[in-house]
Amino acid sequence: MDGYPKGSLDPSIPLLLTLGVAAGSDHGTELDAALKEYGVLIRSEVAPLDTEQALGLLRYIQEHDASRRVKSGPDGTTNPRYRFRVRTAERSLLLPPRHARLPDGAEPPASPAALHSPFSPLSTVSSLYPDGLIDTTWLQKHQALVPAVLLCFYTLVSDPTQATLCDNQIKSDLNNIKGLLGQSGYKTKLAVVLLSDQRTTATEGLQERLETIRKGCGIDSKALFLVPPNESTEELWRMTENMLVTLYPLAVDHYRDLGRHARKKRGRGVAPQPTIPPTSGTSQTLSLAGWNVRYDFKSAVFAEFRSEHENALRSYDQAYEGLLSSELLEVIPSWSPRWNEARSLADVIAIRGISCLLYGGQHSAAARRWQLHRDRVAGFVDRHGRGTKNYGWKAWESRWAVVMANLVERAAIPEFDPSHHLRYLQPEKAAMGERLQPFEFLHHPGYWYRIAAQHLYARRALAHAMPEDDRSPPSSSPASHVASKAFTYDTYMCPEPHEEYPLNNVPGTDYGHLIVDCLMRARKEFLQRQQVRFAAELSLECARELTKSRDWNGVVELLRPLWKDMSFRTEGWLTIAEELSWILRGAAAMVGEASLVVAIDWELLNREFTRRPKWYYDISKSLDGMSPQSRPHVHIEDGQTLSFVSSSFIFKDEEGKAGQSANGQLTLQSNAHQGSAPIRLSSVQVDFNGSVNRIIFEHEDDADVQQKHGSTLLSAVSLTAATSKGKAPATDPDSPDEEQMVILKGDANLSLEPGQTIVLGVQIPLREPGETCAVSLTLNMQLESFDLDQYQSLQPGRGVNLWYLSASRTKRIPREDPLAVRVLPRPPQMEIVGLTWKDQYYTDEPITLEFEIVNEEDFDAPAKLDAILVGPLPPVFIVEAPGQDETSSDDGGKEESRLSGLSLGAIESSKSIITYVRVPPIPQPTQYSLTLKVVYFLSTNPGTPITQTAVFQLNIVNPFEANYDLLPRVHPDPWPSFFDPEGVRDPSEDDTHLLPKGLSQTWALVTRYASFASEDLRVHDVDIRVQTSRTVRCHPIRTLPSLPNPQGGWVVKPKTIEDAAFDITSQKHTLDDRSQSTLDVSLVIKWSRLTSPHAPPNTTTLPVPRFILFGTEPRVLASASPIRLKDGSKPLIVLQIIIENASNHFLTFGLSMEPSDDFAFSGPKQTTMHLLPVSRRSVTYRLLPLGNGTSTGGWIKPGLVVRDKYFQKVLRVSPTEGMKLDKDGSFLVWVPPDEEDSESGEEESGEESE
Amino acid sequence: MAIAIPSIACLGVIGRNNNPLHVSVFPSYDPTTNSFAPLRTPLQFSLLLSSTLDVFEQRARQNAANATGLTGDYGLLHAIDERLASYGFETNTGVKFVVVVDMRGRRVDGAVLGGRAAGVGAVGLREGEMKPVFKAMQTAYVKLLQNPFYDPDEHSPPTGSGGKKIVSRKFAEDMRRIGESWTPGVTAL
Repeated sequence: MDGYPKGSLDPSIPLLLTLGVAAGSDHGTELDAALKEYGVLIRSEVAPLDTEQALGLLRYIQEHDASRRVKSGPDGTTNPRYRFRVRTAERSLLLPPRHARLPDGAEPPASPAALHSPFSPLSTVSSLYPDGLIDTTWLQKHQALVPAVLLCFYTLVSDPTQATLCDNQIKSDLNNIKGLLGQSGYKTKLAVVLLSDQRTTATEGLQERLETIRKGCGIDSKALFLVPPNESTEELWRMTENMLVTLYPLAVDHYRDLGRHARKKRGRGVAPQPTIPPTSGTSQTLSLAGWNVRYDFKSAVFAEFRSEHENALRSYDQAYEGLLSSELLEVIPSWSPRWNEARSLADVIAIRGISCLLYGGQHSAAARRWQLHRDRVAGFVDRHGRGTKNYGWKAWESRWAVVMANLVERAAIPEFDPSHHLRYLQPEKAAMGERLQPFEFLHHPGYWYRIAAQHLYARRALAHAMPEDDRSPPSSSPASHVASKAFTYDTYMCPEPHEEYPLNNVPGTDYGHLIVDCLMRARKEFLQRQQVRFAAELSLECARELTKSRDWNGVVELLRPLWKDMSFRTEGWLTIAEELSWILRGAAAMVGEASLVVAIDWELLNREFTRRPKWYYDISKSLDGMSPQSRPHVHIEDGQTLSFVSSSFIFKDEEGKAGQSANGQLTLQSNAHQGSAPIRLSSVQVDFNGSVNRIIFEHEDDADVQQKHGSTLLSAVSLTAATSKGKAPATDPDSPDEEQMVILKGDANLSLEPGQTIVLGVQIPLREPGETCAVSLTLNMQLESFDLDQYQSLQPGRGVNLWYLSASRTKRIPREDPLAVRVLPRPPQMEIVGLTWKDQYYTDEPITLEFEIVNEEDFDAPAKLDAILVGPLPPVFIVEAPGQDETSSDDGGKEESRLSGLSLGAIESSKSIITYVRVPPIPQPTQYSLTLKVVYFLSTNPGTPITQTAVFQLNIVNPFEANYDLLPRVHPDPWPSFFDPEGVRDPSEDDTHLLPKGLSQTWALVTRYASFASEDLRVHDVDIRVQTSRTVRCHPIRTLPSLPNPQGGWVVKPKTIEDAAFDITSQKHTLDDRSQSTLDVSLVIKWSRLTSPHAPPNTTTLPVPRFILFGTEPRVLASASPIRLKDGSKPLIVLQIIIENASNHFLTFGLSMEPSDDFAFSGPKQTTMHLLPVSRRSVTYRLLPLGNGTSTGGWIKPGLVVRDKYFQKVLRVSPTEGMKLDKDGSFLVWVPPDEEDSESGEEESGEESE
Repeated sequence: MAIAIPSIACLGVIGRNNNPLHVSVFPSYDPTTNSFAPLRTPLQFSLLLSSTLDVFEQRARQNAANATGLTGDYGLLHAIDERLASYGFETNTGVKFVVVVDMRGRRVDGAVLGGRAAGVGAVGLREGEMKPVFKAMQTAYVKLLQNPFYDPDEHSPPTGSGGKKIVSRKFAEDMRRIGESWTPGVTAL
């Protein structure tokens, strides 16, 4: 809005003038010199006040000057109760004359001349004379010269002696001022402030004095203020505030009168005649339509003074329509200065109208009016002016956009506060339903400034398109051309063509500056609202302009922060990034920002960017033509550029072990423009966290490449350790910064052609357990003119995780984080070997386990041994180690038996020691697991224990199993008589010393045992152990087999059955005891392993199921003994049937012997036997076998039945030696063979008897 | 009288990572030369689309703050000047559709439009007139997603930066169809 006449666009605010306070200046000095002469001078004769109070009061009033407020919202964001523009005058004020004078030398008219205001087109002194519309001076008159309120300050003297005198002085002064004001013709309201200097509060006389003054001067009672002395500052302010609020309606009244006056004049409907008719020019006077426009404009301005924006808007609309009507602007010729004046007035009216709309909250209407005015003016300019195809029009369009931006800023719309981030306002209700243009939503000033800049581009383009003839100054071009030029170019508010764009490189309009100014203002608005991308776009446009004006520093300053972290790069708007980079590169090269140039060149090598034609891509020549002061060292941070070298490092395996090495691959891939010069990296550095050392690959020209396929080069690089003094990787905060660091170095060919991929495989030694991963990669380049390093932090998920099996084959590593390798603890190099380990161990055998602990480490290792035996009820065991006492384990209870921390001493490298674990005989078959743990330290790393564990399964089984038979035998001794008094025991006698006198029985215990061992065992002895009850005496005798070798025993093969038989003779202690008794026997086998012949034999005890002896039932025994009457004859068998009655009853048995074809017998065929209690009797039969073929012996079956006569029950006949039972329970008798075979036959029969 | 009506000047599809997925530029009618030509250069359209991201971000922040709808039609994003205005739509996967409308991109005979030609030289737009465009764009995008060879993660990697552009010819064809066939008042594309 700068281009418009000063004051023409100022808001209209009531003017308040203070008089009588020492403010240092008088009012009215800015009045036009011609008018000064006959202006009305009003002068106060009273000395101005300079008391603290008066000055404070004035200051308060000045501070509340509405025209100075930054935010002058219509609804008064600061104070809604009054608005004043404040001017001060110390002693005098000069008001413009109400009427102009007749011009000198003019002939006086016939009638008394009608003199008009000097600002009217009717007066010759006015620049508007004779046919102008209205100009700024009129606005100025009301805004700055003629006050609505004149506020006079006086002291109310309290001294009674001087009071009357001073009061009179005030009265006369006020009357004087009042008179002068009346003379001037202005209806300025007079107000008086009396500052009392009274110390006491005698109000009595005071009121009277005030009345006197008021009445004496005829001042409105509302306009007289008394300020008591010594009020506090706050109180003073409050009073002043009240005073201003009281004065404001007076001021509004003043402007209402003026507005009414203007409307009255318009209502007359006649064009007034000027004082002197015009004689020069066209002698045309202002038409009635023009007068109406003038009156409407005045009414609008006065309404604005009154803050009546609705009314003002209506009047402005009328004025605008009138001005653009066919009667006014249409008829003003475009060559006339009035044409531009009218355009200017139209602009002013439009601006003021828009301003009213904005104040009224009609934002969309404001935007629409802005467009409307532009369109209408364009129409006029096209039809009557110089058209819209020249720079002048574009200049105005640009101006018009800036005006709108300024208006929106000035309106201070609260929604446009930057904190709201609003880009545009929703339309007001009235415009809601319409089809709105998007731009009719009122946008924030940034958009308007940008439009202004766009028009400036067009202005420049049109200016530059001017023919040279038009650009020459008028003095040097032919007059005809000057004339034609005047009709070609619109020079409304812009320079003539020869000034706009002069010839011969004379500077004309600085378009660049104008554009940058607009753009920067727009950018500020966008940045405030966090529209960073839009702001970046504007920066880019700015930079283009600055490039045109060769302001290289400006470009770098503007673009460098953008380039550093622009969202266009990360978000993939590469065309934008590219544009920005090239502009910045050009400027940076000019200002010598070498490192910036290199960094940009480095990025632009990326093939993702468009290849710039005729540009030779070679990073090493980036600085050609520049001479940087020092050798630049360019450091490119991660993500700072889109690097064309994509690099990654991956581990092949997820896990590795300390002490071993892990496979890793470094991949460098160039994505540079085809045809660009290859780059040669001087080194590549890979940093790890964890225990892996930094790896540095250095360039070596003749390092060989092992595989080549297409553009992929694969080579394995061997690493050598070296120390370097340098910073430890930053990721490891524990390590001191400066220390000798071990790094791994390798040589490789690191020159990289466009599109090439270099794969370097390495074997990285792993030292310590834990997680380790590649953290960052740094590419270093050392060229002639600069150094460059590019840092890249490695993150999982970024790369493609390709592992090059060969140059042509890849596989994807499917792990989540292939940058990391988990280093497992160093595997123990200590072996635990079970030397004499057996699959089975047997019960009742002491077990000795022998272990060898072999140290395969390269160093001596002090070791300790833990042994744990886990199983049901583990025994306490003993461990024997060289140089140590035997140590027994603690009794671990039910679950485990443990021995901890047995020192084995230092085991020398590649030596071994033998330890023994001795487990006592275990009675039951079971399973144990024996865990041996060797914990040792290496002298190189005493802090880290290394553990080797071995677990052995201990299977303990029974070596033997057996079954048993107890067969009855005939006891040879006769039974004691129940009726014999000698057998009666004396109860007083002690049991133990008596010989037993009870019944006796003989039994044969036949056992068959088998070895369940997996190997041959040597059995030394087989025996039985008898545990009898107290009532029975037993006496076992082994009968079979007799041991062939009592010392050595005999060898028992696995799964073969061996026999052993024992005779057991038992006798009850007393005859009276007739209850049955039990026999508990266990089989005891003494055996040893064949492998340890000298060890004491083990004893395995097998329990035999319990037998019942001495039943109370009667039993029948049969015994057979063959006799030969003479040699060679058939044997005669004596069969003796013995019936035992152990009961206390008298029993009768019937015996019958069936005749048989097999044998002949002698003896009772049928008999009855009576048995006394506790007695036995026998019947003897002699049998003569009859059968043939008895040479091999054979069985005969005597049909003997013993029957209990009383119970009619058949008793079973129990066979004894040489006899057996057949299937149906009857007994068989063995017939020995003929003489020659008799011996073997007897043996056989013994074996087979069952 | 021939009057100017709006037409689509550019269609943009922007990925979740604010990366451009697709840009179609349509020529506008130029009354001075009586021909059709794009109003801006592709670079300018890129800048224009990119600048809408500011608005999307702000809206997303506001929506998050007010806990209102997370997605959907953002309506008018901003008008760059009197001719160009951007409208936006965001899907619930963060893919953004931007329509840049040239308010004077076409010229029709005033009689054709009838009573609708209320403006002085151009026709305005009612709220919601972009809905069919966004709907059609979304349909086209959904069709693209149904293609098993189209991997959305490749185009907007979850790592959060960059991504490939859409190369589907069918999708581009769809965009071209939408851009060319839309005129104010069209209810389905």
